[in-house]
Amino acid sequence: MTAASPERADRTPTSNPVLGRALRWGGLIAGIIAVVGGVLGYVFAGTEGLVSALVGTLMAVVFMGITGASILLANRFADSDVFVGIFFGIVLGGWLLKFILFIVLVVVLRDADWLNPTVLFLSIVAGVIASLVVDVLVVARSRMPYASDVELPKAPTDD
Amino acid sequence: MDATTVLAALDGNIATVGYGLAAIGPAIGVGIVVGKTIEGVARQPELAGRLQVLMWIGIAFTEALAFIGIATYFIFV
Repeated sequence: MTAASPERADRTPTSNPVLGRALRWGGLIAGIIAVVGGVLGYVFAGTEGLVSALVGTLMAVVFMGITGASILLANRFADSDVFVGIFFGIVLGGWLLKFILFIVLVVVLRDADWLNPTVLFLSIVAGVIASLVVDVLVVARSRMPYASDVELPKAPTDD
Repeated sequence: MDATTVLAALDGNIATVGYGLAAIGPAIGVGIVVGKTIEGVARQPELAGRLQVLMWIGIAFTEALAFIGIATYFIFV
């Protein structure tokens, strides 16, 4: 008598809800920073300042968010036999692409006359720091059980 | 042409070196964070979810330095 092959459990890591929550809160806080930065930029540097603050905040939140998003994307392959390879390939590949894109954007935007570099820099810094604060708060408030991804053997059934 | 003249002939913005330096540190940092996460998951696969979150926080803090460092391109002429 051969036992039926056990049903494969869902092996998605338990980090998904935390990362999703962090991305949502990060987007929300970035919206607030964009508004505040846009107003300040407009007051101090006119329309250029407004546009620079919006672009800077968008860059900060997108580039900081890509890490979490790439982990979420990679976790979709949790059932794969080569999950570890896929996971680090996507996460680190995303990291590399992100930096190349960031450097290219910086070079392109450096000479744009419709931007104010100082406001842009300050809003990037504000966006990055706010994103870090949100990440830490979300993780500190998250409740993740120890040994959450363990697979327990199925209870024996009488038949 | 002696060596001093050759060195003096180098031109460009020294700040460029700073952008390179801004990338080295975080690259090493992310390497360590990811490597240690792999070690941790290899030892205790059931902790993968928790370790992923800690890895993500570690990467976020490390890369923040790189972002700010490279973004200084906007203010350093």
